[in-house]
Amino acid sequence: MKRKISYLLLVFLLLSACSQASTSERDWTKPSWDEITSEAEGTEVRLYMWGGDEGINQYIDEWVTPRMKENHGLTLERVPMDTPEILQKLQTEKQAGKQEGTIDLIWINGENFKNAKENGLLMGSFTHTLPNFTDYYDTNSPAFQTDFGTAVDGMEAPWGKVQFVFHYDSDKIEDPPASFEELHAWIHNNPGKFTYPRAEDFTGNAFLRHILYAQAGEPEDIYGQPLEEERIAETAQHTWTYLNDITGDLWRSGEHYPNSLTELDRLYSQGEVWMTMGYNESRAESLIEEGVFPESTRSFVMEPGSIGNTHFLSIPFNSQNRPGALTAINEMLSPEAQLAKFKPKYWGENTPISFEKLSEEMRKQFKTVERGKSVLPPEKLEKSFLPESEAAYVELMREQWFNEVVQK
Amino acid sequence: MRSRKISFSIIACVFFVFPMILLLLQSVSSPWRFQSEDGFTWQWTSYQKLLQDPMLWEATLTSIVIGYAVLVINFIIGLFTGKALVSSPYKGKAWVEAILLSPILLPVLAIAMGLHLLMIRIGLADTLIGVILLHLVPTVPYSIKIFYNGYNQTGPAMMEQSNILGAGFWTQIFTVELPLLRPAIRSLTFLTIVISLSQYAITAIIGGGRILTLPLVFFPYMENANTSLMAAFSIWFAVIPVTMYIVIELLILLLPYSRLPWRNHR
Repeated sequence: MKRKISYLLLVFLLLSACSQASTSERDWTKPSWDEITSEAEGTEVRLYMWGGDEGINQYIDEWVTPRMKENHGLTLERVPMDTPEILQKLQTEKQAGKQEGTIDLIWINGENFKNAKENGLLMGSFTHTLPNFTDYYDTNSPAFQTDFGTAVDGMEAPWGKVQFVFHYDSDKIEDPPASFEELHAWIHNNPGKFTYPRAEDFTGNAFLRHILYAQAGEPEDIYGQPLEEERIAETAQHTWTYLNDITGDLWRSGEHYPNSLTELDRLYSQGEVWMTMGYNESRAESLIEEGVFPESTRSFVMEPGSIGNTHFLSIPFNSQNRPGALTAINEMLSPEAQLAKFKPKYWGENTPISFEKLSEEMRKQFKTVERGKSVLPPEKLEKSFLPESEAAYVELMREQWFNEVVQK
Repeated sequence: MRSRKISFSIIACVFFVFPMILLLLQSVSSPWRFQSEDGFTWQWTSYQKLLQDPMLWEATLTSIVIGYAVLVINFIIGLFTGKALVSSPYKGKAWVEAILLSPILLPVLAIAMGLHLLMIRIGLADTLIGVILLHLVPTVPYSIKIFYNGYNQTGPAMMEQSNILGAGFWTQIFTVELPLLRPAIRSLTFLTIVISLSQYAITAIIGGGRILTLPLVFFPYMENANTSLMAAFSIWFAVIPVTMYIVIELLILLLPYSRLPWRNHR
């Protein structure tokens, strides 16, 4: 009897192995949505994502995972891993010709997406198959068509959007600067109370690009066009002059810069500097709640505007559960999932969804979410929104900042 | 002599005890903001958050299993290689030694990329065995070196004597060599466990997220400005190797000729 059972098990395993191989070979963008979801039922989807924020982790573990189970019988497994490591792993698997990967879903944008797309690490175009994407999102929006200048081509689905803001302590500063010229003057009047992370850091680099935008005649001269160093030479020169001008009045006279945003946040937390910054307009909320930032922390944006970007979900080339991955992405793009993500309870992040396409009821629910005192009103954010430039500008700032600013 | 003792305690306090106390205090209080006049507030939330992480226990257990497996394999390889190196006086020993040590001179990540390809082909990628094998790369050279030095210090006379008295190979190892090599075993244990426990990138790549170890859960939190949470995590991270070490220390007591603390001869 025992032997029989084990034979049965073996046959079952072989069968399931066969059916899995066929799911990864089949083109899953062709069948109907119903077929995809029924195929996905009872399967496991492995979501690989950066795991350094408890708010985000809890949103996945406590809200998204149970919902997947309930609505689609899907088991969502979150695996914490940094995106460069994920891509490294996929790259080697590609090289070794491994078609049965362990990753079904990744969280990606910007330079990582560019690398993944160029090296053929993604499954391909799929966003047009997702009902929630076509129903509730402005599919033609430039924010979803390009990602840091790289054409998306439907290979990743927009999951969230964030905008760069500056934070200040309203107990110490009454009127935050309204433009980059005013910031310049503020730094001179308050020596030692401002600094920014190094250009190698994601946030520090974004700060430098803001100044580049501000020094250009129109910000569109930068984000609207591919990088030609000769064309922007003058703007770049102004940018370095601006930065060299403030260096002497930065924290520690600009002899040291924080290596990362975390270090800048800690300086702000200690009151060493009076301002900090970062993508995600609502990120101060959880830090205030944890007692890291003072309660009087507020945020501001300056003229000519603040850069925002979209982040996406995508499927690797060797995912073994493509129907499951598609179903999971569709669910994570749903208005309900986006609403839960928008609420400050877990993550508090902005949504790329189009409000006009939502039902009256849903729109009302989004409108009534109280995002917190440190978050700017949506109209203000929308008005100051500036798109990301091409990824080449990130590279440019990273390479030249050290020579032009640190060495001088 | 006395002044040396005093200066030792001062240095130990300033560089080891004091920072540890600060870390402990930070882990049980809100993040310190020196200019905010808030003072010191006790709280357990950072430990609560830590223990709520559903991956923490799984990752801790996996890390311990991997750590011990790596230790046992290291022990076997190190012991016999070290012994062979000492007892065979052939030419070119320096070369063999240099080759055996070479893996620590190359960046582990570079080795991992190549090994990943190999492991995918032989089907060991994304498995526990694959990760254990990979953790041998940065540890085995040390254990060979440690045992080599250990045997060198014991000297061949000891071994010859037991040989003359008629001890066989295994008897000699268990009754003469291992008890004499106790200091080497201790340093090996600590080094191996600590190295294995702190491998992030190579575990991530070879383990492929299937094998979840503590650094995989812990390292992303480095980008967190909440110092209390970081402190709690660090304490957790430090307690594990210490506990693992104590277990090994108890096992060492089982070796022949060990002075058992509960038996009162001398």
